[in-house]
Amino acid sequence: MGVLRAMRARPHDVDGDELDAAGNLLRRAGRGDQVSFAELYDQLAPMVHGVVLKVVRDPAQAEEVTQEVFVELWRLAARFDGTKGSARTWAATVAHRRAIDRVRSEQASRDRLQRDAAHVVREHDTVVAEVESSLEQARVRKALGQLSDLQREAVELAYFGGHTYREVAVLLDVAEGTVKSRIRDGMIRLRDELGGES
Amino acid sequence: MSDIDVHHLAAAYALDALDDHERAAFEAHYRSCEVCHTDVSDFRATLTQVSSAMAVPPPESLKDRVLAEVAVTRQLSPAVVPAVMHIDLAARRRARTVSITLAAAAAVVAVVIGVLAFSGRSQSTYANDLARVLEQPDARMVDLQNKSGTAGSFKVAWSKGLGEAVLIGENLPPAPSDKAYELWLVTPQQSMAMSVLDPATGGNVHRTVKASADPSAWAITVEPKAGSPVATGSIIYVANV
Repeated sequence: MGVLRAMRARPHDVDGDELDAAGNLLRRAGRGDQVSFAELYDQLAPMVHGVVLKVVRDPAQAEEVTQEVFVELWRLAARFDGTKGSARTWAATVAHRRAIDRVRSEQASRDRLQRDAAHVVREHDTVVAEVESSLEQARVRKALGQLSDLQREAVELAYFGGHTYREVAVLLDVAEGTVKSRIRDGMIRLRDELGGES
Repeated sequence: MSDIDVHHLAAAYALDALDDHERAAFEAHYRSCEVCHTDVSDFRATLTQVSSAMAVPPPESLKDRVLAEVAVTRQLSPAVVPAVMHIDLAARRRARTVSITLAAAAAVVAVVIGVLAFSGRSQSTYANDLARVLEQPDARMVDLQNKSGTAGSFKVAWSKGLGEAVLIGENLPPAPSDKAYELWLVTPQQSMAMSVLDPATGGNVHRTVKASADPSAWAITVEPKAGSPVATGSIIYVANV
């Protein structure tokens, strides 16, 4: 069932009509339409929860953050500007930012750094392994595979580990400038592989 | 930070991998930088695809909790702030009393003190001010929405607890002759003049001001060069808090 739900959420499906549909649902939600918002929740919750869970890790806290994200989307729905990106990208951006706020606000962030330092080798294949094998997921996995190990490691530690690039530099014991370059080069390659979403 | 350095932060910014200070610096820059704007949008869209491929459905029960909270959560309006400003000014007109005049006079004094105290501060002092504000547990930061359609961006970071606000303006067009930008801290009760922003400082303005009130909005108007104790010009930048 996990695969089915995930497939429903895959970006390929939301590229065309469904993308607009999410934007329309969000606009209707912005006028106080709770039914449209419930539909929007169904469309976006797996993606939002996936990214939050990946960053926060603790399932109970991840649920709290996912709830915060949707309440935030509801609160801000009237300010959604479709010309600046899709509703799905907006939701992903809010979700990641909220998850990051949660992990950085904890004094646990030091513990997180230590834990990740211990697992940094094991860590960087985990994300690739977790990408399940629907067509779209295969595409993302292939794109991640196009990054050099060093690039992928830096991008994943930043995005899913929730670390700043300076923290990533400490974790990997390399210069900050080196990490900045790996992150930038990695993201450019990922963008070239996956393209935009429109 | 050089321009090139700032451009190279777009990927790290999209990954939320900047600390608060660098994030503030990058945000001040990127809205007026077309290259960075496109980069950030692209990178976010790319990351959305990666995230979508890792979707994990939350427990069924979460939906009910979300919808229950949504049912009792007020939504923000798309652009209510100018209305807040008008109501505020109308209220002032109705209740134009000696105490209001005194408050206005006090505001002018505050502006003068603020300008004297903070003009001519170095860039590094500004960076320290910003860092000090952002370190506060109650620190907030907002982008002011550009209502005039001209170039330039403003953001304000503040901490009520610390009683300070840092204004960051970038790529601003010069104010009309004999005019200056003026920053307002708007509360439901009044609009407080915070600082006159000298157009002679050119495109970039960094200003630290005392601000202990709880803002419902920040706004910038064009006022006579000497500053005005009450807002007379139209709002050109605004952020609802």
